Amino acid sequence: MTSLEPDERYSRQVLFRGIGPEGQRRLAEARVAVVGCGATGSAIASLLARAGVGTLRIIDRDYVEPSNLQRQTLFDEADAAESLPKAIAAARRIAAFNSQIVVEPQVADLTPDNIAALLEGMQLILDGTDNFETRYLINDFAVQASLPWIYTAAVGSYGVSLNILPGKTACLACVFPDSPRGAIETCETAGILNSAVNLAASIAVTEALKLMVGAEEQLRRTLLSFDVWHNQRAEVGASKPRIGCRACGLKDFVHLAGEGRPHITLCGRNSVQIHERHRPLDFAEMSQRLSPHGAVRHNAFVLKFWPEPYEVTLFPDGRAIIKGTTDTAVARSLYARYVGN
Amino acid sequence: MTKIHIPTPLRQYAGKQPAVEVKATTVGEALAGLVARHPDLRRHLYTDDGKLRAFVNVYVNDEDVRYLQKDATAVGDGDTISIVPSIAGGR
Repeated sequence: MTSLEPDERYSRQVLFRGIGPEGQRRLAEARVAVVGCGATGSAIASLLARAGVGTLRIIDRDYVEPSNLQRQTLFDEADAAESLPKAIAAARRIAAFNSQIVVEPQVADLTPDNIAALLEGMQLILDGTDNFETRYLINDFAVQASLPWIYTAAVGSYGVSLNILPGKTACLACVFPDSPRGAIETCETAGILNSAVNLAASIAVTEALKLMVGAEEQLRRTLLSFDVWHNQRAEVGASKPRIGCRACGLKDFVHLAGEGRPHITLCGRNSVQIHERHRPLDFAEMSQRLSPHGAVRHNAFVLKFWPEPYEVTLFPDGRAIIKGTTDTAVARSLYARYVGN
Repeated sequence: MTKIHIPTPLRQYAGKQPAVEVKATTVGEALAGLVARHPDLRRHLYTDDGKLRAFVNVYVNDEDVRYLQKDATAVGDGDTISIVPSIAGGR
């Protein structure tokens, strides 16, 4: 029987001088949130879990689909067949390779209303999201709470990462005051190489390890971008807060105040999310009620329903992802018709 | 000449070139020269009223021009301008 003693498990990592026994002990005590568990998020969560980060909170609003499997390394075909929520599938997979850490899956969309509760007790936030709305929300929260976080993104063969230490380095709003709209490529138009995702995640996790073991002087203080296909790498300065920055300068946390976010259109997919609070759903009862209107199936985590030509995925808290439209009015009316007003 | 590095997400609008050399004395002139040569780039870099888009960052020798003199930041022979767009992907 192979030893599962922590000393044995982490021996190669402890031998690395930058970590050592003390660093490993700090990792075991660390509490880290990964927001979004898609391509970058699952690579990040996997590396952190194998490295022995003691508590990992994985927050994701989505479920596993076949098109995820090319790059989302924590999931398998059975997860996709079951439409398992990504946070749940990630926690199960991690438990199979490291049962000695605590993984806290949260099937939820991070919003201004729930961010404080979902990130409570975390010392570091890693970005596995696919959209700037959530990133600006994380940035506002992290700046207000003086929590470090790491921005990571990839599209095509291109990736970027930025370490944000509120008050010490530039924050996301210092570097990018506004989110991309329309003009720039997304994963939907440019596709994505799994190797670009994994490199971006590896870079972010290495920075996270430095932070957790107290090697802050080793942290990169630049916005790093690279292209694995065109063999390029660039770093530009991000070592100081920008004077007059909305977030870290003026403390104007507009995203935390949550102006106008009732519907969210998901990136890279023909679907709309509807976030309804205070509407716990009974899947067994819903299944019965919906079956005359289309195919329906459910497990403990999601209910899927197909009122042609749409696909409606419901979560136990009443949240829905409606596939087959990007029109929020259509999605809203489907929700009203089948779930309730 | 001043060299402008084009990031790969924008290269398709710049004749697929990784870099363009322009003659300019300021960042504003250099970018004007760039979009004159590659008109498709204009809408990716500038808003309809001619302002640099907030999600496109421009650096001169690794310093964000917002920290310097923005469009009026001086450039000359041997200076390098980098354009870094924000990107959202991750799923």
